[in-house]
Amino acid sequence: MNTDLFAQLSALGSSLALLAGIALLWRRSLDSYVQAFKWQSLVLAAMFLMVGYFGRDPELYAMAVFFFLLKVIVIPRYLRRLQQRVGAERESQPYVNIATSLIISGLLVLLAYAVTRPLVAVSRLPTRGALPLAMGLIFVGLFVVVTRRKALTQVVGFLVLENGIALLAMLGTYGIPLIIELGVFLDVLMAFLAMQVFVYHIHGTFESMDVEQLNRLKH
Amino acid sequence: MAFSDINFLLLLLPSLLGALFAILVRPFRAWVGWLNAFVSLLGFAAALSFGARAVSGIEASVFGPGEFLRADGLSALLMVLVTAVATLTLFLSPGLGPETRYDPSQLRRYHIFINLFIAAMLLAVVANNVGLMWVAIEATTVFSALIIPLRLTKESVEASWKYILIGSVGIALAFAGTVLSYFDFVALSGRVENALNWPVLRATAPLLHSEVMRISFVFILVGYGTKAGIAPMHTWKPDAYGESPSSLGALMSSALFAVAMYAILRWKIVVDACVKGHFADNLLLALGMLSILIGSFSVVLVRNYKRMLAYSSVEHAGLICLGLGLGPLGVFAALLHLINHTAAKSMMFFLVRGIELKYGSPLIKDVRGMLRVMPWTGGLFAAGILALIGLPPFGLFVSEFALFRAGFAMNHPWLMGVALALLAVAFVSFISQLNRMLYGSVPEGVNSAEVDGWGRMMPLFVPLSVLVVLGLTLPTSIVALLNRIMEIVSK
Amino acid sequence: MKGYLLEIGQALMALALAPVLVGFVRWWKARLQGRRGAPPWLVYYDLRKLFGKEVVISKNASWIFRFTPYLVFSSTLAVTLLIPLVAAPLPFDALGDLLLVVYLLLLGTFFLALAGLDPGTAFGGMGASREMTIAAIAEPTIALSIFGLALGAGSTNLGRIVAQTLAHPAAAISPGHLLGFAALFIVMLAETGRLPVDNPSTHLELTMIHEAMTLEYSGRYLALIEWAAALRLLIFFSLLVNMFAPWGVATTLTPVALGVAAIALIAKLAALGLVIALLETRISKLRLFRVPELLAVSFVLALLAVTSSFLLR
Repeated sequence: MNTDLFAQLSALGSSLALLAGIALLWRRSLDSYVQAFKWQSLVLAAMFLMVGYFGRDPELYAMAVFFFLLKVIVIPRYLRRLQQRVGAERESQPYVNIATSLIISGLLVLLAYAVTRPLVAVSRLPTRGALPLAMGLIFVGLFVVVTRRKALTQVVGFLVLENGIALLAMLGTYGIPLIIELGVFLDVLMAFLAMQVFVYHIHGTFESMDVEQLNRLKH
Repeated sequence: MAFSDINFLLLLLPSLLGALFAILVRPFRAWVGWLNAFVSLLGFAAALSFGARAVSGIEASVFGPGEFLRADGLSALLMVLVTAVATLTLFLSPGLGPETRYDPSQLRRYHIFINLFIAAMLLAVVANNVGLMWVAIEATTVFSALIIPLRLTKESVEASWKYILIGSVGIALAFAGTVLSYFDFVALSGRVENALNWPVLRATAPLLHSEVMRISFVFILVGYGTKAGIAPMHTWKPDAYGESPSSLGALMSSALFAVAMYAILRWKIVVDACVKGHFADNLLLALGMLSILIGSFSVVLVRNYKRMLAYSSVEHAGLICLGLGLGPLGVFAALLHLINHTAAKSMMFFLVRGIELKYGSPLIKDVRGMLRVMPWTGGLFAAGILALIGLPPFGLFVSEFALFRAGFAMNHPWLMGVALALLAVAFVSFISQLNRMLYGSVPEGVNSAEVDGWGRMMPLFVPLSVLVVLGLTLPTSIVALLNRIMEIVSK
Repeated sequence: MKGYLLEIGQALMALALAPVLVGFVRWWKARLQGRRGAPPWLVYYDLRKLFGKEVVISKNASWIFRFTPYLVFSSTLAVTLLIPLVAAPLPFDALGDLLLVVYLLLLGTFFLALAGLDPGTAFGGMGASREMTIAAIAEPTIALSIFGLALGAGSTNLGRIVAQTLAHPAAAISPGHLLGFAALFIVMLAETGRLPVDNPSTHLELTMIHEAMTLEYSGRYLALIEWAAALRLLIFFSLLVNMFAPWGVATTLTPVALGVAAIALIAKLAALGLVIALLETRISKLRLFRVPELLAVSFVLALLAVTSSFLLR
């Protein structure tokens, strides 16, 4: 019964995280992207706590705290500041239109299910049922980076991709060793800060956040 | 052993100290750069001593609690490559002379991040834990990306944005692959503390599940392949190499490229022990051929000589991938090719800097009569191009020959034939571009004089001599080191 | 025998309840907007009035125009025989299941669209094309969202699905259920022509969808179509509440159980009606080209529901 509840809750949490990721494909305003990322990170932090409790691994409580601090507080605050400085542009014409993107995301989830079949078969953890959802989130994050035109959307897409990988690690292995996880957090923070710097540069030199403008470098 | 501990410190500290000095000294002063350059020689010496230890039969040296640093033969080779290019770069960095192209704050930024970049690369090759290796490689992406737009122009911002976005996404996928293999390990034997240490992974590999490791390797290859610039993940390369300062370009195209290949090779060794059949080999062959194809044809179309070097990098990445997929003989050839390529590319980027300063344009059509205007630079440039297209007496000829011999030995005659044809296409394009640049009438306003004095030209003869030496003979020390590495690969 | 009588009684009850449900939602909307609002049973008087009025048909209309109201009414009424309103499982279950329900609903939509095109007016054509755009994405989603539940029950028989959920109450919070509920909720808004997809009380050409198709109808035809629309609302509400929160539905055919089930159903419908009224007061109508995006979201939700149910079996 306990493992059943654990499996249900992890599937529920992963579905919510995946839905937040799909919200990036549905909504147009940057504000909603930041909100979606914040909620997704909140759900993941809660899941870290839950996995720590059910899996009896106190390291995960620490991980939950770090995750919460980094991805629910620090990064969204920077994103919001960034958004205020470079102007709230809307993703009005992505490379793939919204309805098609949503349907493709459904197909990506099916693809993720196919790809993770061997993983689910190999694992014996109760959380293994939700592994395809984590892989689906990774694919959705990748899709967002590839098909959206605004630089800020691409940054949020990258962050969602990282969240997906964290979720995959959590579901598949109850989290990777703490030291490495800290290193990963540091890296993500650095990458995010660097991207933030570049978004300012883009805004400064191009006066637009549309990456379609970044087309001067050709053969 | 205390000696090896000192060695590790000697390896890593110079670049960290260099970064520290650059941070502390405001505004930037030239002596910081010179100090940096001389101290990096210590790092190079440390790397050579690691190489000597590996050749003399010591399996690996370890350092630190939990053995978080480990240097075996493969690490030693990479260390030598990285520190050699790093030393060369630091001696030829902007800011060491009466520099007028960059202002002091730009120079300070450059020196901080280039040292951190070098430190991260060195950490990646001595990390015992593949997770730590990943963290270091991701750090290299961030540090190098911050140097590309040293001068803020639309083009450099565009290039750095593409580089950091594509690089970070690629690296994230490599991390997913790392997580998947850890997942497999955990599914097999529970959560062990040192599960991600490479020797442990290698030892457990035969017991891991091949379907999972297959998926893991695909992610890893795509991820680290993005860093190495293997097609189809190479799109950031021409932009990044074209827009970054030459010293960074030299480091990225030779050292960082080598580190990415190192990561792929480390994982290939693990996966090969687990997955039956030639799964990893076939993937590498496919991506290698694709890279050679795209690289060769892009050279035909390219109009900017710095981007031309980038596409040549893609082509050589393809060749090395091809080698890695051709069994033990191929891996030997690939590693030899890596050494030669490192020497050639680093030299080329410094030469290109001089050319751009003289002619004021990155376009090939604007560069004519180089032999008359700057005979030494032009001569070295010509030598470099001839080396890159695989002509004797340069080392790349020897390694390519070894590669093709390995290919035929492994029964891939058609594949080798296609690769040769593609190399011929690249050959022709390079020679024609070179001709256009070397000969012809000098454009207006370009005076005939070398851009750099002997101080800057002399160091470039070092990689050139390495190329010539490796083209004429294979020194026993290098052969011994490569043999040690082959033992690691095929154990 | 008793079962068949029960089924027919259930259909008659649905027929009787449908208009007052529509009126109830309308009444609450008015109240929430600060008006007194027409009493909920006004709809009955409207229907009686319409039945007495003269029918005016365009000269260009064909037999489809006259046939459609009867078809729409009877197909929607037939659906009420197949869905579990007060009891599950039911004897007519042998005749039809989820797929038949979806197809019957679609049959009604299809003919209504044809009838909109038939008289050759601009409004009708416009409404028909808009309706078809919505139906194209909404119809598969209905099937998919309930299919997620069907996977758990091992059958697409609606009665069996309800029985399964009653037997395993913990499954009601599983991701498959919740996602399926969300998907079906959005589709319900689309299929019954409520905000944010279509405004049921508008007559502006820019915003009409359902109204536009039925604009030409008068008299008893209009009465039948209005009643059928009300029945459709009842059907979707019942599907939502009984599939995903089936407590109260009678599993045995005793009078007590049936009485409790009827009261439970009315209570649940009233609650859902209130929610809809609240929703309609708060949100505004979506621009037409954004509607496929909303429906694509519901489709993806339904797809996720199916995959979650599949994964957690």
